[in-house]
Amino acid sequence: MIQIENLVKRYDNLVALNHLNLQIEEGEIFGLLGPNGSGKTTAINCMLALLKYDKGSIRIFGEEMSPDNYKAKQQIGIVLQNVAVFEELTVYENIDYFCGLYIQNKEKRKKLVEEAIHFVGLEEYRKVRPKKLSGGLLRRLNIACGIAHKPRLIIMDEPTVAVDPQSRNRILEGIKELNQQGATIIYTSHYMEEVEQICTRIAILDHGRVIAVGTKEELKSMIKTGETVTVEAVALKQEHLQGLKNLPSVFEVQYEEQVLTVRCTGAKHNLIRILNYLQEREIAFGRVYSELPTLNDVFLEITGKQLRD
Amino acid sequence: MFHLIKYSIRVKLRNFETIFWPLVFPLLMATLFYFAFGRIEEADFETVRTAVVMEKDSSDKLQENLENMVKSEGEIFREFLTEIEESEEHLIQTEEMTEKEAEAALRRKDISGIFYTDGEIRLTVGANGIPESILQSLLESYENGKQTLLTVREARPKGMWAAMEQMSKYESLVEQVSLGGRTTNGNAQFFYALIAMACLYGTFIGLGSALWLQADLMPLAARRCATPTSKLALILSEMCSSFFLHFINVMILVLYIRYVLGQEFAGSLPEMMLVVLAGCIIGVSMGIFIGSISKFGEGVKVALMLGISMSCSFFAGLMNGDMKNVVEQHIPILNRLNPAAVVADAFYCINVYDDRSRYFRSLMILSVMAAVLLAASFVKIRRERYDSL
Repeated sequence: MIQIENLVKRYDNLVALNHLNLQIEEGEIFGLLGPNGSGKTTAINCMLALLKYDKGSIRIFGEEMSPDNYKAKQQIGIVLQNVAVFEELTVYENIDYFCGLYIQNKEKRKKLVEEAIHFVGLEEYRKVRPKKLSGGLLRRLNIACGIAHKPRLIIMDEPTVAVDPQSRNRILEGIKELNQQGATIIYTSHYMEEVEQICTRIAILDHGRVIAVGTKEELKSMIKTGETVTVEAVALKQEHLQGLKNLPSVFEVQYEEQVLTVRCTGAKHNLIRILNYLQEREIAFGRVYSELPTLNDVFLEITGKQLRD
Repeated sequence: MFHLIKYSIRVKLRNFETIFWPLVFPLLMATLFYFAFGRIEEADFETVRTAVVMEKDSSDKLQENLENMVKSEGEIFREFLTEIEESEEHLIQTEEMTEKEAEAALRRKDISGIFYTDGEIRLTVGANGIPESILQSLLESYENGKQTLLTVREARPKGMWAAMEQMSKYESLVEQVSLGGRTTNGNAQFFYALIAMACLYGTFIGLGSALWLQADLMPLAARRCATPTSKLALILSEMCSSFFLHFINVMILVLYIRYVLGQEFAGSLPEMMLVVLAGCIIGVSMGIFIGSISKFGEGVKVALMLGISMSCSFFAGLMNGDMKNVVEQHIPILNRLNPAAVVADAFYCINVYDDRSRYFRSLMILSVMAAVLLAASFVKIRRERYDSL
């Protein structure tokens, strides 16, 4: 559905997109994950033909994307990072206005607007102006304005920024529902939990290029860490740490402020082996955690820095 | 297109800046002008009470100065005061008193001044104020007349009586009439400049439109530009709604001035509408142009627009009625290039001069300005892809 090849975008000396390559298939919820400034929004704006780029090509629905490719634009819905609605119009009027930029037929539009209002749960706020809506409701209105015309492709650029957890869950559930109804979704975020929760495939961006792409399972399998075991333990000696490191599948041991962190490969029974080792040496320990790798671990291992740095 | 125009008008009608400055503010200014000028023109001054003291009058005659006259100067002055007293304005009310009675009345503030007619005409007042100034003006007026008569006597003694007859009638001999034969109202120029200013305040509507059209200035514009609605349709709908709305704004002002405030416009309404339309197109286009020339913040742009429109209005005579004439004498080209001055001049042509050729010249200038501004604005806002957002 979308094919981006060797996309280069420079802002003077800053390279925002550095030979970006992406391929997005129909029916996916495709996550673009990366820290702030990694090029997610720039890539979106290039896809929407709003931003000039220096090199490369973008094809959507098999056609070169350009400002006057109205046929392609007709099938795209956008939800921008900043809430983009008219302060002067009510909830209903805003949705009707933006839907009207795609759908000329008044009767059809009326039906679609009602469906969008129902979809985002703003029935009680039809006649309310955006100023009087909370942050979460405003985000929902922003989404309704982008999806009311039932687009084939929905591009969402960080739609949950500054949203309370309740509204966030509702938005994420809504995105999954839109996907089930047949829409392909491109979802950018720097919240790895969200991306993990809803995306069927994920591309991790850093410095304007894709550093990894795949399903979350594929991404996690790309890295060495299969499990991270954390144990609160007192008075561990250097020899104990060396002993732990010699256990099968353990490749990294850290001990700081009485917290032991052991990184293991994807092998089974890591936790039991570590606890047995401690018990055999009569080392007292407190709380124990075992975590599977996150996308942050993926990012950390590939780039050497945290996703939220 | 109808959908776009409908919502564009709705948005503008609910926006404070696009309603207050182009519509409400000029209406407030017009009302302010009306009351300010109305008070000066129609001020209902209280009749000034004054005493006339004439005890020693009989001994002093004007015989040494006015050979053919039998009346004393005091008598002449009292007749002069009677003329004033009986005039329609009822400016003064005189009462004959003795010197002591008059001084007592002045202390009690029953009267504002005392005219002494016993010899040289003198005035004593008890305070400084408008009533006292009126009495002072009357005395000065009389003294000027007397001096004139003395001069006539010296130069043409035979015309003395005729001169006195003339001077004894206190009436205005000057009527202000325009070149085109239409009576002028000195305050009209302020209202013309105000209408011109209102036309230029279309910049506020134009600025909003410019911001809503450029994806690099507002996320809202970015969303609109990413839709299948062509940029040309967006631009045209914004321009049409802006021109229409602002034309209505200024026509409301014109009708308010004409029918509510009662300011006379001698020219025909269709001719005035044509000027208003051209002025509105220039105002809105200026706003779109300012809104699209740079990435300045909205506050800076608003300040820039206010500065430009107020400067244009100032030079068109909004704050000083003579300013337009001063500019015409020293930098006439400024009056041709200043849209507010051209709009005001077009109103003069219709309502005062009755000068068709000048009216059409003003319209032509406005049309060329509008075309240049529109073309420049269109070039700036038609971009579809941006270097940065």
